Order: sequence, then C-alpha cells, then structure tokens
Amino acid sequence: MKNKLIKNLNQLLLAIGIIILSLLVGAIIISFSGNSPLEAYSTMFNGAFGSKQRFMEVLVRMIPLVIMALGTSVAFKAKLWNIGGDGQFIVGSILAVSVSLYSGLPPVIGVPLSIIAAMIGGALWSGLAGLLRVKFNAPEVITTLMLNYIAVYLLSFLVYGPMMDPLGSKMPQTANISTAYRLPLFESGNRLHMGIFIALFIVVIMVFFWKTTVGYKIDLLGQGEKVTTYSGVSVKKMIVFTMAISGLLAGIAGWTEVFGVQYRLLEGITSGYGSIAVVIALMGGLNPIGILISGFFFSALLVGGSTMQRMTEIPYSIVEIVQGLIIIFIIARTAINFKEIKNRITRRLSNVK
Amino acid sequence: MLGELKNKHNAVEMHNIVKEFYDVRANDDVDFFVKNGSIHGLLGENGAGKTTLMNILFGIYHPEEGEIFINGEKQDISSPTKAISLGIGMVHQHFMLARPFSIVENVMLGRKSRKGILLDTKETAADLVALAEKYKMKIDPYAKVWQLSVGEQQRVEILTALYQGAEVLILDEPTAVLTPQEVEGLFETLREMKNDGKAIILITHKLEEILSIVDEVTVLRDGSMIGHVEVNENTTKSELTKMMVGRDVLFNFNKACIKTGKEKLVIKDLKVLNDKNFLALDGFSLDIHSGEILGLAGVDGNGQKELCEAITGIRPIEAGEVKLDTINIENKPPIVAINKGISHIPEDRHITGLALGWSLKKNLILKTFKDNTKFGLVDEKKIEKRWKSAQVDYDIKANSGEDSAKDLSGGNQQKVILARELGSHPVILIANQPTRGLDIGATEYVRQKIIDAKGDGAGVLLVSADLEEILQLSDRIAVIYDGKIMGILPCGSNVKNIGELMMGKKLEVEENEK
Amino acid sequence: MLSNIFTVSFFVSLLASTIRLATPILLPALGQTFTQRAGILNLSVEATMTIGAVAGFAATFFSGSLWLGILSGMVFGMLYGLFMAILSVTLRANQVIAGITLNILGAGLAVFFYRVIFGIQSLPPQVEPFKMLKIPFLSDIPFIGVIFFQHNIIVYLAFIMVIVTWFILEKTTFGLKIKAVGENPKAADSKGISVNKYRYIAILIGGIYAGAAGAFMSIGYLNIFTESIIGGRGFIAVSVVIFARFLPIRAMWGALLFGVASALQLRLQALGIDVANQLMLMLPYALTIIALVLASKKAEFPSAYTIPYSRKER
Repeated sequence: MKNKLIKNLNQLLLAIGIIILSLLVGAIIISFSGNSPLEAYSTMFNGAFGSKQRFMEVLVRMIPLVIMALGTSVAFKAKLWNIGGDGQFIVGSILAVSVSLYSGLPPVIGVPLSIIAAMIGGALWSGLAGLLRVKFNAPEVITTLMLNYIAVYLLSFLVYGPMMDPLGSKMPQTANISTAYRLPLFESGNRLHMGIFIALFIVVIMVFFWKTTVGYKIDLLGQGEKVTTYSGVSVKKMIVFTMAISGLLAGIAGWTEVFGVQYRLLEGITSGYGSIAVVIALMGGLNPIGILISGFFFSALLVGGSTMQRMTEIPYSIVEIVQGLIIIFIIARTAINFKEIKNRITRRLSNVK
Repeated sequence: MLGELKNKHNAVEMHNIVKEFYDVRANDDVDFFVKNGSIHGLLGENGAGKTTLMNILFGIYHPEEGEIFINGEKQDISSPTKAISLGIGMVHQHFMLARPFSIVENVMLGRKSRKGILLDTKETAADLVALAEKYKMKIDPYAKVWQLSVGEQQRVEILTALYQGAEVLILDEPTAVLTPQEVEGLFETLREMKNDGKAIILITHKLEEILSIVDEVTVLRDGSMIGHVEVNENTTKSELTKMMVGRDVLFNFNKACIKTGKEKLVIKDLKVLNDKNFLALDGFSLDIHSGEILGLAGVDGNGQKELCEAITGIRPIEAGEVKLDTINIENKPPIVAINKGISHIPEDRHITGLALGWSLKKNLILKTFKDNTKFGLVDEKKIEKRWKSAQVDYDIKANSGEDSAKDLSGGNQQKVILARELGSHPVILIANQPTRGLDIGATEYVRQKIIDAKGDGAGVLLVSADLEEILQLSDRIAVIYDGKIMGILPCGSNVKNIGELMMGKKLEVEENEK
Repeated sequence: MLSNIFTVSFFVSLLASTIRLATPILLPALGQTFTQRAGILNLSVEATMTIGAVAGFAATFFSGSLWLGILSGMVFGMLYGLFMAILSVTLRANQVIAGITLNILGAGLAVFFYRVIFGIQSLPPQVEPFKMLKIPFLSDIPFIGVIFFQHNIIVYLAFIMVIVTWFILEKTTFGLKIKAVGENPKAADSKGISVNKYRYIAILIGGIYAGAAGAFMSIGYLNIFTESIIGGRGFIAVSVVIFARFLPIRAMWGALLFGVASALQLRLQALGIDVANQLMLMLPYALTIIALVLASKKAEFPSAYTIPYSRKER
C-alpha cells in the first residue's frame, strides 16, 4: 500500500518535471518569436486561475475532455488506436440533439433518451471502425480519423441544411434545445454545469471498471492478440466491443457539451477535443485518476491559452506546441533506459580506477 | 592454457572477452581459439554465453574488454561488414533471411554490387548456381525464401557465407531443425569444407554431435570458459556433461512403458489450414488415452503447431472431428476446451503463453479471471494466495507476484505457465516444445512435471522436435510428416525408424505388407 | 438535364483537375512508400506537409523564387522527419503515438511561425504561384493536351517521380536495403546493413517528399497558406501506400482515385449543381475507408512493420 503511494507520488513528480521541461522549451520558442515567455505564461496562468469565473471556465472545459480522454484510454489500453474522438463526439451530439428537438417527449423520458442516443451515436461511429478492423483488417487508426472528417462534414451538412434553425437568421446552427432538457447551472454568472458530477461519476466508474472481468479482457487484448485468444477471449468480439465503449464515452462527452454549454449543434463544436483527449489520456498514463488530474491541467492550459491569445501578440498555437512537447518528453522518458546509462557510467568510472 | 602467443595456425583467437548486458555478464573473461582446417565445437547450456561470444566474433556485439586475432593479426571487429571482410561467416539459429525476397536478393544484400548502385542480379544468380554445384547442392536462385524447406534455407545461408568468402564459418545450433538424415548431409558438407582448409565453429549443446564430428571443443558455463578438450575416442559424454553443467545429470527417467487407460481425446481425419492458407494437416488422425504420454515426433513445421491450435480451438478446422470422450469439440471457441479441462503449453511462451507486460500473479489466472472475482471485482487476496502456493509448488524464482513476466528467465516463465496449466488438474495436456530454449535444470524440472501430470491421470500430447525428449518420456510415439501421421510406434523403438518416418519414408515393414 | 452537365468539356476539365489534385497525395504517398517499406508507419505526414506549406510559402514570399520555396519545403519537411526518426528509431517509441504527437506539435509549430512571421492581417498574404508549363506540341493536342500537358512543372515532376521511386526500390542496392530493414531487420543487420541508418534515411526521404507536397499546396496549387490547407491529405497519402500494397505504380492509381473524387466535387460545385457540397466533400475520406476495406486483407505488410528494432531482443 505504502509502496503504491510512493510509486504514485513519484509518477506525479515525474509528470510535473515533464511539464516544467515542456514549458521551458515552449519559452524558448516564444522568445524566438520576440515575445516575453514570462508575460505569456503569467497571462496564461491568470487566464486560467485569475478569478473564480475563469477557474469555473477551466472546469467547464474539463468536463468533455476528461470523459473523452477516458474513452480514448479504453481503446489505447487494448492497443487500439482510436483517434476519432471528435467524430464520435459529433455523431453522439447529433443523435442526442435530434431526440431533444424532434421527439417532443417530456424531459423525464427525453433526457435519459438523449443520453442513450449520444452513447449509441458515439458507439456506432467507433464500433464501425472496430468492425472494419475485424472484418477487413482496415487499420483503425486511419479509419477513425477518416470518420472524423466524415462526421465534421455531416454536421456541417445538417446545420446548413435539414437541421438549420428555421427561425434563425440563416446561421449554421440548430435551434436551441428547450430549457427543461439542459443541464442545470451551478449559479448564474458562469457556465459551470452539473455535468461536472457526471464526469467525476464516470471517473469513479472507470476506476472500478478496470477491476472487472470486462476491463481485464480489454487490458489483456492490449497484451497481444495471440495470448488473448489463447486465454479463451474472442479477439474479434473484444475489438468491436472495446472500440464501441471508447466511442460511447466520447458520445457522452458530446452530450455534456451540447446539453450543458452550447444548447444547440453548430459547426466546429468539438474544436479539436479529440487530439487533446489523446494527449490527456497518455499524460494520465491511461489511468482514470491520472486522466482526471491531467485533464484539469490541460483544460487550464487551453483556457489560459485563449486568454493569452486575446491579451498578447502570442498565437494560441503555443498551447498545441506545449502539448506536443509534453508527450514527446513522456515518450523519451519511457524509452531511455536510465538503468543502462547508470551502469555504463559506473563501469566507466570503475575502469578509470 | 593454450598458447599465450598469437599462433599463425589459429584462424581465430579471442582473448579475455568480457560482455555485459545490463547487470548480467554474458561473457566473463573468455579465451577461445580455433585452428584452420578444423571443426571446433562450442559447447554449453542455453544461456552459457555461446551465442554471445560468436556474435562478438561476428561483429554484432562489441565486447567491453578483450582482444581478437584473426590469422594472427589483431582486429577490431566493429560490425558484421568488417567480420565478413575478414572472411568470417555466420549461419544463425534463426535464419537471417527476408522471406518475401528471392534467394539471390538475400545474397545480394550482404555484398557490394558489381554495377555500383544498381543490382547485379543476373551475375550473382549465375555465381550462386556455380558455387552450389561445386558443393553438390541444387538451388533455384530466383525461388522465394518462404517457399523453401528449413533444410534448404540453411543451405542458402551456408552458400551466402561461402559466397562472401568465408574462411571461418560459425554455425549456431544448425541441427536443431533437421532430421537425423539431414544432419548427416550437413555434416558431409562440413567435412568437405574442413578439407578445404576452412575453420568451422559449431555452437551446440548436443553431446552426440560433439563426439561424431568435432575435432576440438571449448566448453562454456555461466559465461565463463570451463575448459578446452581435444576430442578423441577417449572423450566421454559424462566428462563433457560435467564440464557443461557442473554436476552429474541423470539422463534417463525411470520409465516403464505403461499400459494406457481408456481413449480420452479422439482426432479423426483433421484438415486444418496454416497461416498461408495451405493445408497444414491433411487427414490427420490420432487418439490420446488417459494416463499416457503420447510423443509426437517430427521436424518443425510439419503441422504440429496447427494441430495443437486446432485441438484447443485457437485455429479453425476445415474438416474432421475432435472428440473429448463422446463430445465433439471441433471448431468451438477456445473457452470450451479450457472449461473442459484441456490445458495447453504453447510453443511460443512469449507471445502466446504469457501476457509479458502483466504481473506474474495475473498471468496465473489468465484463463480463470472470472473465478477470482468478488462482487464482480478482482479479488486481490485470493490471487495473492494462489500465487504464494504456486511459487512454492513450482519453484518459481521471482521477488514477488507483482514482477512482470517479461523480467523472468525462460525457465521461470515456463514454470509460471506450468503452474497455471497443471494447477487446474487437466484431463488432457497439450505440451508443444515444452523444454525448448531451457537450460538443463529447468528442462529436467519441466519433464518431471509432465510425468507427474500423467500420474495424475491426464492424457498428455507431447510435441517435440527433440527426439531424445520424445524417447525418454513417451509411452507411445507417433510421427508426423507433412500434416499426416506416418506411424505409431511403441516406446523403446529405434531412432533410425523414427528418423525415416520423420523424413516422410514409410517403414519397410509396412511396404512389405502392401 | 444531365446531358447538359456531362459534356465533353466537363470531362476534360474534370480529368485535368484530377491530375492536379492527385499531385499533393501522390508525392507524400511515394515518400511514404520508402518509409513504410522500411517498416515505419509515419502518421505525422499531415503535419510535415503543413510545415512544408508554411516553409515553402514564406521562402517564396520573401525571396520571390518559387524554386526556393519548394526547396525550403523539402528541407523543413526533412528536418521535421528527423523528429519522427529520433522518436521511432532511436527511442523506439510506439509509432502511432509518436505520429499523433508530432501531428499536434507540427500543426502548432506551423501555425505559430506563420503568425509570428506574417502577423494577423485582414487579407492573407499571397504569392504568385507556379504557372502552367506548356510543352511544345503536346500541350496543343486536343483533349489529351488539356488533360495531361497543361499543368505546372511540379505536377509533371510528381508523376516522373513515380518511375524514379519504382526504379530505386526495385533496381538499386539502396532500394533492396530499404526493403530489407522493413522485412527482416535482424537479417539486414547480420549482413552489415545498419538498420537504424536506413530507417532514418527512409523517414527523411518521406519527409522531403511530404515537405515538397506541402509547398506545392501553398505555392503551386493555391497561392496562400491557411491552417487547414492540407485537410487530411497526409493521412490519405498514408492510406494510399497501404492499399497500394507498398508499390509506387499502384500508389499513383490510388492518388488519381482521390484526385477524381476531389475534382468531381469541385467541378460540380463550379457548375452550381445542387448536390450538397458537404456531402461531396466527404467523398475522398469515405473513399479512403472503402479502399482500405477492399485492400487491407490482401496487403502483405512488411514483416517488421511498426516494430522497433533492437539487437538485444530475441
């Protein structure tokens, strides 16, 4: 127990070290552009934590990101490279909004139904990629990505066409969903909604999920297809199932965003959450608690980054650069064998003697 | 010791070689000398450092310490290219051939082209045919490697080395994949080469080979050189064994040919495809009885792997039947075989038998996770208990059950698999190459456990390319060739008969009967 | 009605733009043929192309030389390939994760430096792009001339590179070595071929091709740079290599298939045909999935595909 605690603490320290290193490299790039890194980071920090409202905004961002990253982690654990979170998010949102706009059901039935619709939408979109992998050996890393583009254009088609708000001024968006369907806010004046509890609830569920037979089988799949088959688990079924679960969570993420923040469908609704979710999942070590922590960090980075872009000359892209750097350092950390280097050095030293 | 001075007659001299991997000394101050025009055996158990030493000679590894002399001149062999230019060639245990490439393409890989940056395919092909003829071999230089038999692939490797101008030829366990008759053919070629004045280094752990063909032998144990012996009629197996293992080894298990129990597993007219979609098993029939060890002898790649996978439900069956008692189990998912008590020690423990990245504990319950849960969640206490008892019962050397499987030695990994597969008290045990790559100690242990399982009443199918193992353990011996059973012999049959069956020849007795 | 649309001139202009639109997929696909043959799946082609687009655009904008622009795209494409090489070869990272990461980083770097260099302007800065290169006689053949011989020089070069790539892979020792490190790195190593060196080279070649294709987008096809200028072409190129079964000639057919899909969307839109534009825009991506579905089962992947090489491992 104690050992586990120390191990976790070590990991946390390591993560902090990697973040600092990435920010340092980011600083070099910022100063390269003729700006002050200190200014950049301090506006960024203020942008995320400067006021209660801003902090709440970080939490608002965190809700879909953490849920989506949990979805990504399910697939990645099985070494299935589902990088189509955006598409699953979109398709889930489309189905959920359709239910709330067109079903005419009372919220008591309509709200749960819209969540289920979001889950089905996400699961179908990723499950399709899983199915293509199983049936035709089509690499899911590429099909999920292509399905992203297709979902983006599908959404665009719908909000410009059949689903466009009939009363709106020809804006590419749907009508607002009725108030009764929306996730309640904590307080007026900021956008934090009850979805935060849903995110936390899913984190807890995922902690237990990995201790169930199903979680174990997903993990086993990541160890290799041969050993999975050998252990009596159907690889094909597991691939489709794992992909579906992964997309299901992305669908829920879409639901929280639409029903908690936007209240309607519009173009660009995911704003690239998919790739950030990948970064969060990897940074969190595919572990639910780790994902919660790294999700918080990256949300702060995003919110702070957009404030920084508004207040300074420094482009928002620096946020993406720092994201990329963090994962690169994580890769480097796991790949470099410090033990061997240490051995070599000690051997050199003893040879000198 | 043999000569401090650099002897011109020595093709190879390696002095005080030290090589480390992480914490382990694979070679610890090793001296190694080989004369021109001789066949030199390099003997030792698995993990003794033989292959490492030869990889150093061939420039694949760089030693931390030590010097190498080739024909009396000091050399720094920094890469295989350098080794090849010094006239050293190596035939690896796992052939170094790109399978979709043709023979000639494989040969061209290691050579400078005569046409500069363009490939000299035609010229090389012609040279190869000529060289092969000189050594009385037949090859089609444009044949793809994947179409060749294992023996043919080995010939390609030897030809490649010769074509590169090898004067020193290293062969790493060359006979492991050959039938006894093919081994004779290989030895003929080696003697021919020796008469040409070439130096041949034979890495092996088989004593018979040392005694039948080798002129001198160097023995390694745990990375150190134990001794250097000239082989003559006075050299004995037990003397070499003692050097190799450091103690006496009992080679013969006490075994009476057992009257076997009733039929348990019946396989009838099985047709199964391999990964390339060719028939790996073609009308294969066999039955396994409770309380017997049925040894399945045969050269690798004659359908053994596919058979084991078909029985355990891993591989689909095109036609035929597999019956456990009276219940048909063919083409059922693997979980059915597992639940019916069919255990399986797979050929490939790294990829199939273990989840390498997982803890040992979790590997023990790989197939029975459901039985180790409480309220749907994993029951850590139960698993820990299971690990504790398995560690004792199977003598697994590990710090804790939390260690990941990849950090264990091959022998200990195999013990984890045994603990899992035998711990469930199977009615049938499929053991595919259960001792391959293990040292003598672990081999003895695994064999004893298999005999114990038989004592428990399990019907054992022992698949092995190691004839000695088959002969020692089996109550009946079946021979597989090209996906068919060539014959079933009682225990105590002679090696020559089995060898001929392994080559696909019917026994003379049978011919006469027709 | 339909006969009014599908006229001869419609097909001629459709096929001409097919060839033009195939180019930015063909070039990176040829480069990735080297890379993937050497056993490396490099998903960061997308970002490499974006970087090539910025680098090419900026060089041309300031120097006025289009060739300097292409060169700059190639150089920066190669430099960005170096990241992938370090991560996947030296550090032996998981190639999918490395690729995804480098896409995030590369997109950030490209846009960052574009903003830093050009600032935020109401009208995007423009360059004078490559002009159509008339080939005497050939360009004047009716129909055929318009389809095949009224393009800029980069388009011609891209199609010449198909033959060059094929020749290098099939007829030279270099090509054989590239294939060997992807098929059986251990064997290649034992024959004195440095696996890491050839994998580095294969990745860098892929980077050069991708960088050139990126520059083509900003100074050959368009005359501006935008964030989404590549629009998934890098990913499509990676897929083209797979379903072309790692053969350059087939990769050309694959690229042309995507060319025709994109061209159809543009032509119909230009004619004001009432097919929902967004649905047409999906076509290339849907086509990628369909092509992968049809081809992946048969594709013989290099044996060491996506597997890092280390001498120490068994």
